[in-house]
Amino acid sequence: MKKLYFLKYGFLVCFIYSSIAVFAQTGSISGVVRDEMNQPLPGASVSLKGQTKSTSTGNDGRYKLTEIATGSQTIVVTFIGYQPQTRTISISAVTEVNFQLQASSSFLNEVVVVGYGTQRRRDVTGSVTTIASKDLNPGPITNPLQQIAGKAAGVNITQTGSEPGSAPSVRIRGITSLIGGNDPLIVVDGNQGGLDLLSQLPPSEIANIEVLKDASATAIYGSRGATGVIIVTTKKSKAGSTIVEYNAVSSIDVISKQLELLDANEWWTEAQKWGVTGANNHGANTDWFGLLTRNGSTQNHNVAMGGGTDNFNYRASVSAILQDGIVINSKNQNYIGRLQATQKALNNKLTVNMNLNTSFRNNTGSPTGIGRAIFRSNLISNAYVTRPTDPVYNTDGTYFIPSELFEPNNPYAIAQTVQNDGKINDTQGSLRADLEVASGLTAGVFGSWRKLDENTGYFLPAESTDATAINDKGSAEINSKQTNEQLLDLSLNYKKTFGDHSLDVIGVYEWQNQLYQGSRTRARGFGIELSSYNDLRWADITKVRAEDLFSYKNDRTLISYLGRVNYSYLDRYLLTASIRRDGSSVFGANHKWGNFPSASLAWRVDQEPFMKNQKVFNSLKLRGSYGVTGNQQGLVPQKSLNLVGIGSPSTVYFGGELINNYATIQNENPELRWETKYQTNIGLDFSVLNSRLSGTFDAFTATTKNLLFDYAVPSPPFEYTSIVANVGSVLNKGLEASLSYDVIKTDNTTLTLVANGSLLKNEVLSLSGTIGKAGTALTTDYVAWGNLNSSYLIVGKPIGAYYILQHEGIDPATGQELVVDQDGNGIIDQGNESPDRVLSGQALPKYNYAFTPSFSYKSFDVSMVWRGAGGNKIYNSIRKSLTLMENIGKSNMLKSAIPEAMFTSPYGSDFWLENGSYLRFENLTLGYRFNVSKLTYIKGVRLTLTANNLALFTKYSGIDPEVAANGGNNASTDNGIYPRVRSFALGLNISLK
Amino acid sequence: MKIKYIYIALSVAFLSSCTKLDENIYDKVPADEFFALPGAAASSLASVYAQMPGNWDGVGYAGADRGWYDLNEMSADYQVVPHRTTGDWELDFARLYKREWLPSDGFMNNTWNWLYKSIYRANRSIAQLETAKADPSAIAEAKVLRAFFYYLLIDDFGDVPFFTVNDTPVEQVPQAKRKEVYDFVVSELLANIDQLSSTKGGNYYGRFNKWAAYSLLAKVYLNAQVYTGTPMWNECLAACNKVSEGGFSLHSGAADASNKLGYKYYELFGDVLPDDETILAIYVTADIVGRNIFTVRSLGGTDGTNLFGAGAWNGSIVPQAFVEKFSNTDIRKRQFRYGANPYGPQPAGFINYSLEVLSLDNPGALPNAGARNQKFFPVAPISNGGSNDFPIYRYADILLMKAECNVRLGSAAVGKPFIDQVRERAGLNALTAAPTLDNIYDERGFELTWEGHRRQDMIRFGKFLLAHDFAPAVGPFRLLFPIPTAALNANKLLIQNPGY
Repeated sequence: MKKLYFLKYGFLVCFIYSSIAVFAQTGSISGVVRDEMNQPLPGASVSLKGQTKSTSTGNDGRYKLTEIATGSQTIVVTFIGYQPQTRTISISAVTEVNFQLQASSSFLNEVVVVGYGTQRRRDVTGSVTTIASKDLNPGPITNPLQQIAGKAAGVNITQTGSEPGSAPSVRIRGITSLIGGNDPLIVVDGNQGGLDLLSQLPPSEIANIEVLKDASATAIYGSRGATGVIIVTTKKSKAGSTIVEYNAVSSIDVISKQLELLDANEWWTEAQKWGVTGANNHGANTDWFGLLTRNGSTQNHNVAMGGGTDNFNYRASVSAILQDGIVINSKNQNYIGRLQATQKALNNKLTVNMNLNTSFRNNTGSPTGIGRAIFRSNLISNAYVTRPTDPVYNTDGTYFIPSELFEPNNPYAIAQTVQNDGKINDTQGSLRADLEVASGLTAGVFGSWRKLDENTGYFLPAESTDATAINDKGSAEINSKQTNEQLLDLSLNYKKTFGDHSLDVIGVYEWQNQLYQGSRTRARGFGIELSSYNDLRWADITKVRAEDLFSYKNDRTLISYLGRVNYSYLDRYLLTASIRRDGSSVFGANHKWGNFPSASLAWRVDQEPFMKNQKVFNSLKLRGSYGVTGNQQGLVPQKSLNLVGIGSPSTVYFGGELINNYATIQNENPELRWETKYQTNIGLDFSVLNSRLSGTFDAFTATTKNLLFDYAVPSPPFEYTSIVANVGSVLNKGLEASLSYDVIKTDNTTLTLVANGSLLKNEVLSLSGTIGKAGTALTTDYVAWGNLNSSYLIVGKPIGAYYILQHEGIDPATGQELVVDQDGNGIIDQGNESPDRVLSGQALPKYNYAFTPSFSYKSFDVSMVWRGAGGNKIYNSIRKSLTLMENIGKSNMLKSAIPEAMFTSPYGSDFWLENGSYLRFENLTLGYRFNVSKLTYIKGVRLTLTANNLALFTKYSGIDPEVAANGGNNASTDNGIYPRVRSFALGLNISLK
Repeated sequence: MKIKYIYIALSVAFLSSCTKLDENIYDKVPADEFFALPGAAASSLASVYAQMPGNWDGVGYAGADRGWYDLNEMSADYQVVPHRTTGDWELDFARLYKREWLPSDGFMNNTWNWLYKSIYRANRSIAQLETAKADPSAIAEAKVLRAFFYYLLIDDFGDVPFFTVNDTPVEQVPQAKRKEVYDFVVSELLANIDQLSSTKGGNYYGRFNKWAAYSLLAKVYLNAQVYTGTPMWNECLAACNKVSEGGFSLHSGAADASNKLGYKYYELFGDVLPDDETILAIYVTADIVGRNIFTVRSLGGTDGTNLFGAGAWNGSIVPQAFVEKFSNTDIRKRQFRYGANPYGPQPAGFINYSLEVLSLDNPGALPNAGARNQKFFPVAPISNGGSNDFPIYRYADILLMKAECNVRLGSAAVGKPFIDQVRERAGLNALTAAPTLDNIYDERGFELTWEGHRRQDMIRFGKFLLAHDFAPAVGPFRLLFPIPTAALNANKLLIQNPGY
């Protein structure tokens, strides 16, 4: 009976050593173990201190220990992720004692997924942050990254605007690559992929998220792990339990901030000062921003079920994430179905696990790339520039078009008539089989296959008022895109403990292929516009152009051999070492392979005999690691090859006829090779004050060499003006700290203060290299990066250092901006190395921090997330557009533009640079758990009220300081973003018995 | 048993894909394979010609915006896109016109990149054609094309990097003196012209045949004094005479009610250019091959809709002084559109453009200010530009060059018939006296308005630095454009032209 019990639950807590012995039969103790939410906790371990007697709780949280000596006994209750509880109880013949465990802030015993395997947290030697499901940000979540914003030091989540379906960007330990390969690798239950893999994860299905930060942790994912790894583990069913659960969150989203523009009277008064005539004043008073926006909403619904027995368990869920955007006619719907099952066979020696996820995503997007040739932008930016005196409709009810302007449009007409629909079918399946070949030796096979089909339709009718649409008499476009990602792992794992030595060795062969393929078809000239993009044959066939037909196909293959050893001696001295050899098809013929070693050591100081008598530290661990990782994901295929394709223009008139224009498509670089990151990390994990205060400190340096970059080259002699090449190196140095303090911890009340912060300093170490067949030396300093003509890579300075002209004033004669002629030679030189430029801060934040306190009293709880960043500057380009009075005839202006009185500027000066520091009150959640113990069918009911983005403290004058900071082009430049929302959400969680 | 399966699985996986990392190329062709295909060498020549039509992003000789054409035309005295009080149009056009251009203005960089990409393609085409042992006339054609691009480069920028073999390291692509490049251009033309086809039109429409190449040579000689200090008037005259051997004549200047502007003369700027007068043209079909935006860019929005059923841009204008130089009897004056009774069609609601313009920048021109140019009255298909072909060289230009050379050589009377032919075709009287240089200069302006020759002419006739309209007199450094900022950024070996 007891043995059965152990078997039944033992594998859940297999790392807890326990054994069963027979004692003198004198009494028994039983009861229920509950979690902090008052839910029964199955699988918790209950043992008697100093004895070998123990048991685990059942599905209902009940435990029972019999045959124990009466009198005073110390009971220890433990469970992964919870603080162990020790109580001394007087045992009588039949004793009933209930326990309530509090979630632990130091999960030393928690299983940590470390890539191709798991480890106990206390054995982890690298820098790994774990965020358990209870710590994930609640509320109207549309992407799992929002759940970890502010939760991990060195992990920066940036949400630019709140467009439905738009995902935040994430950077782990800053920007270490220049070519855009800065997205971390995402691993969901073993499936590897890019950030979009998170789109098929319902927020309520996540069990925990691990972030691997240092080289030792990421090295095992070497070919894709250089920029960090986010490992998501989804919820699994526990043996002996059944779950039926419903989660819902519904929010109202409102615009948190908008630009202050002129109203009709103000515009007309000002416009006349700048020579604008009555021809431009159409006499209306239109609030374009108000017309184009509304209150949005976000709804999450999730039904999950699951169950398990000793050798089988499954979990299935169906979820819907539905967003209506704050810009009219913008919405996103994401329906996700998930199924996972695990079966054991061959006398428990074989474990087979399968996962199947399908997501259908429908997006109706607010059109982008509309407007005048010099101001093609999103709809909301077009609403800013539209004059308040323009009416929406003509007197005959048709949409008004300001025909006195070049390429005029009416953004409301565009919002109402343009169709911009995207449909994505995203299916992913995987199968893992692990076979215990011999004692301690496991052979594993893992295969995953993801197919993502994306179809978009775009219809721009003549009625939309867009100038191109009127010329084309309506145009329609359909796009289809297929992504096919396959991965195969073969692994051998050997675990053995010899006396004081414990060894865990794994060898893996891995093959991955990512195939991208797609096509686009366009048509124009719709006499009848009713069919939209659904049947392009309604268009005028004679208007087809060569570029209206387009298709492409390319792929990438990665092959890796890797090995890792985890060794520990006396459970105190821990070593992890790994080596991998990676090959990627995207590099030059002779540079496809790279070798990437790593090693890390940890010392569990608290386990030393000399620590036995001290009372300060409850745990103390020192870690150190060094490793090399490679980066290739940011490099698109085929850049090393000299290829001929269809040129631009695609057609040429030659020999009396139209023929295809075959042209070489790029400056090829056969010398392309692995970008390599060398990272050193030292860390300290501790807990003191009876484990009430715990924390982690990490310090790291990371040097990226052979940086991949799309580099400007001289033409002549090059055909094109840029080439992808390996250039120079950058250094990132950082400090990270996380602290958690249980201020109050009683049975009824808890108050926990958690904070984390990181400092990041980066520096361009060198810019050098040669390119191409001829070995041309690169021109290697003052390389434009980020904002065109104002931020640069400069040796000895941070990435994206602003090196910019300095505003001096306005020429009263012309209204043109004057900048300081620093070298006094009478010429304003706008070259990259111009002596007229001055250094003025950096594009990337220097520090990030978060404060996430939580409080609970009985069934009531409150949590908050405060999050901030700073030390960076933002180039406010939209402010420039809405300030220069040369535009006022055709455009509305900022209220702040009137006192500036600047007519024009041919410069990008520091006048448009603004401090990007901010502190955001990101999340406030109130929760209440109803007492349902008397209900027959309901196991638990919890209600939450969440407010997101409640307050923002910043000096930045734009609508939000979180602008594109992902390291691509236009980094830290505000060209006008989709507004950021403030949302208020009500959440409900019901679980059935 | 199980181990055996694993062993099999491992071996299958390892054998099939273990180290295979060659890139799969699906939608393109490796260059070496492509150029080994029959006909590929010819297509490499075609890809040089693909550089000629105007396209967005400032590429092409003429037809679209912000490239070579705008740089050379708006820096002259007869065309500018003023900033408007409506807020339309960026101020860099006005800067160009007022000779206040900056090295960072996009026109310079677009022109530079377009020319050097063209030279790269010509270099490759020559190499491919030579490797393929192609017809010598094709090799000669590619070399003449390259000479054409180098001539345009020294005309705008002076001393420029020079290379004839691709994949040369940048250190070995020196910034050659203007004269060295001039010498190269002349010698390349002399060495290759006579191998070119003498066919006019047909397969050679839009290509350098013998006559187009002699026209180019004549142009290079015409401006030799500007480039090298040494005039080559005799050589220019000889090259013009060679062109005449091609049997060219002036196209008819007769009235024609079916023509939008009333005269057959305007067929020279229509769909397919007549080969009696046209020597070298750019073939255009809007949105298929290039475009011709010049009239669409000039007219006001509703005029475009009313005159040819497509939106127009209310952009470029002709300064008042230039329009007023034309005689009212000159059929070429009909290219302008202004006033209450404009030339050309007068549909209901047509716009009355005022000849006067008060400001080019701050506060800008009023919406309907400035005469417009409808010389390239758009022909279908029309979409952000018409499908009018563009004349690079035509016989009227050659005649005026002959006249000029004769005047400069002191034989003004010999030159008189050439200029008179051009005047009489336009409905004017012959000159009453032997032509002066000013007569030639003015006549070139009348005949070749908006055809891409004006800046060069103004410099050669010593007019460029003088004040006109909104443009004050400027210093001689403005005779050359600056090397673009982006080119200097990418190549530290380049030396900026003085004054910038």
